[in-house]
Amino acid sequence: VSTPREPIVEYERRFDRPGTQVLQRLRAIRDERGQITGGDVDVVAGALGLPRAHVYGAVTFFEELGLRRRGARHVQVCAGTACFAASGGRHIPAVERELGLSRGGCAPDGSVSLQPVYCLGYCYGGPSALDNEQACAGPDLVDQLAGRAPRRDPDIPAYSAVEQPVLLAGILDGEPSWKAWPEVVGGGRPDDVTEMVIASGLRGRGGAGFPVGHKWRSAASAATPGPRYIIVNGDEGDPGSYIDRLLLQRDPHRVLEGAALAGYAARATQGYIYVRSEYPAARDALQAALRDARAAGHLGRDVHGSGVDFDVEIVEGAGSYVAGEETSLIHSMEGLRGGTLARPPFPTTQGLFNYPTVVNNVESVATVPWIVEHGGASYAALGYGDEHGQRLVCVNAGFERPGVYEVPLGVRIGHILEDHAGGLKDGRRLRSVQIGGPLGGFLGADKLDLPLSGPALVKEGVSLGHASLLGFDDTIPGRAIMRHLWRFAAAESCGTCSPCRIGSRRGLEYSRRGDVAELEELCETLTETSLCAFGSGVAQAVRSVMRVYADEFASEAVPS
Amino acid sequence: MIGNGSSTNGRSIALEIDGYHLRVPAGSTILEACRSAGIEVPTLCFDPRLAPYGSCRICLVGVEGARWPMAACVTPAADGMRVDTRAPDAVGAARRVLRLIVSQLPERALDLPEQRSELVRVCERLGVAAPDFGTAYESRGFDFSHPYVKLDRDLCIACARCVRMCDEVQGTFALTLASRGYSTMVVPGTGAPWNQSDCVACGGCVSSCPTGALSEPGLLDLRPTEPAVTTTCGYCGVGCSLDVHVRDGQVASITPTLEGATINRGHTCVKGRFAHGFVRAGDRLTRPLIRRGDHLEETTWGEAVGHVAAELHRIVDSYGSDAVAGIASSRATNEENYLFQKFLRAGIGTHNVDNCARLCHAPSAAGLVASLGHAGATNPFDDVDRSDCILLAGSNATEGHPVAGARIKQRVLAGARLIVVDPRRIELAEYADVHLMARAGTNVAVFNGLAHVLLADGYADAAYLDQRVDGLEDLRAVLASYTPEAVEEISGVPAADLRRAAALYGEARYATICYGLGITEHAHGTDGVRTLANLALLTGRIGTERGGGVNPLRGQNNVQGASDMGALPDLLPGYQKLADDAAVARFEQAWGVELKRQRGLRIPEMFDAAIEGGVKALWVMGEDIRQTDPDVNHVDAALDACELIVSQEIFLSRTAERADVVFPAAAFLEKDGTFVNLDRRFQRVRPALRPPGEARSDFEIVALVAHAMGIDLGLASPAAALEECARLTPTFAGISHERLDREGLLVWPCRSPQDPGERRLYSSAFGTPSGRAQLHAKHYLPPGESADEEYPFTLITGRRLEHYNAGTMTRRTPNAVLVDRELLEVHPDDAERLGVCDGAQVRLTSRRGSIQLTSWVTDRVNRGELFMAFHFPEAAANDLTSGATDEVTGCPEYKVTAVHLAAVAAEPPREPVGAGSGTRGGA
Repeated sequence: VSTPREPIVEYERRFDRPGTQVLQRLRAIRDERGQITGGDVDVVAGALGLPRAHVYGAVTFFEELGLRRRGARHVQVCAGTACFAASGGRHIPAVERELGLSRGGCAPDGSVSLQPVYCLGYCYGGPSALDNEQACAGPDLVDQLAGRAPRRDPDIPAYSAVEQPVLLAGILDGEPSWKAWPEVVGGGRPDDVTEMVIASGLRGRGGAGFPVGHKWRSAASAATPGPRYIIVNGDEGDPGSYIDRLLLQRDPHRVLEGAALAGYAARATQGYIYVRSEYPAARDALQAALRDARAAGHLGRDVHGSGVDFDVEIVEGAGSYVAGEETSLIHSMEGLRGGTLARPPFPTTQGLFNYPTVVNNVESVATVPWIVEHGGASYAALGYGDEHGQRLVCVNAGFERPGVYEVPLGVRIGHILEDHAGGLKDGRRLRSVQIGGPLGGFLGADKLDLPLSGPALVKEGVSLGHASLLGFDDTIPGRAIMRHLWRFAAAESCGTCSPCRIGSRRGLEYSRRGDVAELEELCETLTETSLCAFGSGVAQAVRSVMRVYADEFASEAVPS
Repeated sequence: MIGNGSSTNGRSIALEIDGYHLRVPAGSTILEACRSAGIEVPTLCFDPRLAPYGSCRICLVGVEGARWPMAACVTPAADGMRVDTRAPDAVGAARRVLRLIVSQLPERALDLPEQRSELVRVCERLGVAAPDFGTAYESRGFDFSHPYVKLDRDLCIACARCVRMCDEVQGTFALTLASRGYSTMVVPGTGAPWNQSDCVACGGCVSSCPTGALSEPGLLDLRPTEPAVTTTCGYCGVGCSLDVHVRDGQVASITPTLEGATINRGHTCVKGRFAHGFVRAGDRLTRPLIRRGDHLEETTWGEAVGHVAAELHRIVDSYGSDAVAGIASSRATNEENYLFQKFLRAGIGTHNVDNCARLCHAPSAAGLVASLGHAGATNPFDDVDRSDCILLAGSNATEGHPVAGARIKQRVLAGARLIVVDPRRIELAEYADVHLMARAGTNVAVFNGLAHVLLADGYADAAYLDQRVDGLEDLRAVLASYTPEAVEEISGVPAADLRRAAALYGEARYATICYGLGITEHAHGTDGVRTLANLALLTGRIGTERGGGVNPLRGQNNVQGASDMGALPDLLPGYQKLADDAAVARFEQAWGVELKRQRGLRIPEMFDAAIEGGVKALWVMGEDIRQTDPDVNHVDAALDACELIVSQEIFLSRTAERADVVFPAAAFLEKDGTFVNLDRRFQRVRPALRPPGEARSDFEIVALVAHAMGIDLGLASPAAALEECARLTPTFAGISHERLDREGLLVWPCRSPQDPGERRLYSSAFGTPSGRAQLHAKHYLPPGESADEEYPFTLITGRRLEHYNAGTMTRRTPNAVLVDRELLEVHPDDAERLGVCDGAQVRLTSRRGSIQLTSWVTDRVNRGELFMAFHFPEAAANDLTSGATDEVTGCPEYKVTAVHLAAVAAEPPREPVGAGSGTRGGA
């Protein structure tokens, strides 16, 4: 009887290799010298005591590391879906012309380089770019980059569409954090926290919707001896989504407190918050909050004299959408390639360094302090119908009032988009709404009566995912959306399983030549055979585009 | 708990597959369940040597109630599950995935013979033909930089089997998948050519590759090979099972046997897997040679055999039978060794027969017999896999016994504690929880120190000692003075490390000791073995469920067997003593002769006797004593004094050059017989090739000479020889070729044709006359030679991964490209003091000789110590080594030689050769 095994992970665990430092060290070299060479890999591998081949594998996996040269000025231009919707995809060629570079290029003198990335989280005010770490966003992006217009880094608009905000309480009402934690850690019991959260009905906000408390319980009670870990998944890779960026950047203490409570419940002594590298400002805010929280005694050894140890380390990603998938996320935290793994075993029994690990989304943990403070029943009472609680949704710049909204679960989608966000700007006509990012899917404008509810949306062949809502007006053709989806899939497939590794490329080719029959067969293959939710999600999204834009694709059924 | 292997708790589950009702252990995957019932499911990323991975998505099966087809290799079988491997949906999905995979490949991917490509076989089964996607094919090129491992990137399907073999089986971590998405493919190291990577050329990746993306020189030629011949490796004592693939009378490839290879489990090392080119080297001896004046000339078998027969007759007639001495061979088969010792004992009438176990593990035989009763490993090597603590002493296992070393490493990765006792920072020392870097020659002090702590800190098993072991009080008395602090004085090992090591060993649930020549090749080597065995006895780890005993990692392929067969001056086959009347009578009756009761000469004594005039004829079967025995000047003097020197060789070795007659012998790939490996397994050796020219097996050569002398040895074939040996030796009574061909392997003791063999010894009683084990109270004594003002360094000798012993075989293969010369390991501080740069020429001088070689400045060695191997005649370590020998067995002290080191001026240093060159080990 054989079970999955990863000797490189056993090696890191057995010899205490600091895998979580790999990406950071490589990034430092890249920042200093603009390029990572095989020799640099040797140095990093040697310093951390890791096999150089595996470090090299990681370097070549992550978009932001790689062996490609990078200029002193490195411009990352957003190729995400909201910016694509905002400019119709025209901003990237414009930036290319302005910088005199093509995508992925670097000036011969090393002065400047250009890299398209999937989403910087400025979906409310794009198109956007990061010029080194400085954000620029707005319709005049090219002028901003060229110095012809003042640079703008607009704040994320946040609105409450509920009576009592849970997640936005701090951001909108100045509600302080760290009210629940000192009391819990001082006199509570981990199982009480778990039971409260189970009673609240809180489900994971990252997309899969697994009950949060049950996840903690399985990690806490896993037969595997040794430490437990909690990882807060801030790899908000869905183009079109900027909810985690808002929470991390504007209310990092709530995330830290939630992480502490979750870690306590799961009996973890170490937490990690994984922040995607496309969010430098969020990382900085979180780091500052972490310092403050430690200084205030909320984190560290013997927290508030309780005898409980709990600390948090921030790990920065390096450019991979799939790294948001939990097995991939764990790999990247171990300094390895972010390939996904077959499950079982699930991370709750065999996760980071093979120890039981809870992976929770940022929004999920940010909900926990409120639940602990107000009780599980209070939270369960929120929401409509079968759906319990409140969550954040985000709406793109195509709407009158783009931003993040706290809404009750089960609310009508049209109510959010029309009554709160004010419908599309300039009287444009809404053609479709992409929900839940690139793996979620597209709803036609006639489906806005659907509730914001996972099960209801699944019936329509889409997923709620991380709850981003992107409106597309009728000027953007379905085939352009289709190609955009496949470009994304081909760029981000981790390459572990063969259907997605090769199919993501084939899909791009078929979509370029409009081969609907091949696309349909490919979607069937991806749905049925992919190793993780990426391949099947891409297929779901593609099928939904074909459905919503059926008239357009019917006319193209004959390959050109 | 160690590792994450699933525990089945003995439970089983019932499921239905294709209408068959099956019961499989809980935790099985669907694929395992299918295979257990002989139901074939096509796979690409699956390899039974590896953990399931689930990336190719070809093994799709229908599962009732599941929305989509499931990947059988990673889906746990569940109670009541109904599986349909032929479900049209599942097969159709698999076919579409396969079409996608093939769409990325060039057409030649499907041109490979189906025997060499799982992809071709799976395509045939699923009816997928050449690429039909009409997409532009992008070539990614070749990497043929490595002499053995050849990469055709265009055939890579990113299944990661190569990477996983490297990680999960070999443990070198030399490979990775690189890039992502469509571009994902295997890359060695950091993207440079393969020969610059950390690859140690175990060949695991090549043997697992399902498409031929990874291949080897002999398989780049697509013509078919003859059906494989399964045999046992002729390199080290692990005894790997190998399949030899022949084409046009040449070895095209040697691959690991996949079915029933219990010791190596489908793994190999660079020697067994690839270093076979020597068998058809141009300078193989193909005709007998005879000395005419000062040179050797080719002659006929008739003349060569006649000359040897006549000379032996003359010498026996003139000087008596004890003027003849024979050195048997740990490289030759059991049957050849049996025949050789029978020829000397029954034909000539002398016990002057010995084998090179004398030079390596004679102290193991003596020490283990004295302590425990039998001259072999106490436990099967597999018990390493049960261990949560492994004590590895004096063995650079990842280089000397690479397949065994890899298994130890995997066990350590899974969580077992590792204690390494070695003067050098060997690769496994990097994996050790405690590395006791004792000064060369201080093993006994270290083991006494560990025993001291085990007793003092309450780790001794009082009940076990009381019921099964003698000698505790004497030992206690001796150990009193071996406090960790006192041992630190002697050995340089920090007292705290000794305490930690003892605690790890003492606290373990199941602890196993493996050791090598670093323990035996000392002036007090037998004491080293006995004091090491003390540790296992004190803690009750022999013959119990608390440990895997004490296990010598035998050096050569058949060093165990040569001794088992009685190629020893004091013991008959099966270690039967000349003092054992019943045993002697059995042989006398069978052989129709009277045997002397006085033991014969050991190898070093043979040389002494030759110089003194007692020995006049020396017959050396397959050993290069002028390169491998210590103090070569002394050996030469002995050879000068002999009137007849006979050499059986595959090449004109340094020894053969001095012989009067040289018989061209067959190599192991050309032989029929058996070897006994390091854990007492008899395994078959089968001829895959015919010997070149007129070369003959060592068996035939001995038989021919005997016949010419009018001696009837009565053994027509190797099978008959083993049959006779079994008949006269109770511990081998159940062993025969016929049974081995049927059952694959047999472990001795094996006392009857029904006896499965005793894999774990001493579960009820020890093999000593009293049935009780004996603790040995031995004081540390200094080595035969110590560093002094004139010779301030201690030279340690040993092996390199890529080469084997005298290098006769490996230097005639591309292994000589991988490592083309010997390097002297020098500590950086010593190098700096003496002005020696890395890669510079140095001169090394001992009381007996002087050699020049290249330096390798590395902290693998301690200050004041040096290391080199003895594989290269141009850097002949044994020109330097001393005549000091183990006081019990006469085993030479190869591990301690006092030397003087000096830089050689005037030559510009070559480029640095330091660690990181990949082929020199390192993590």
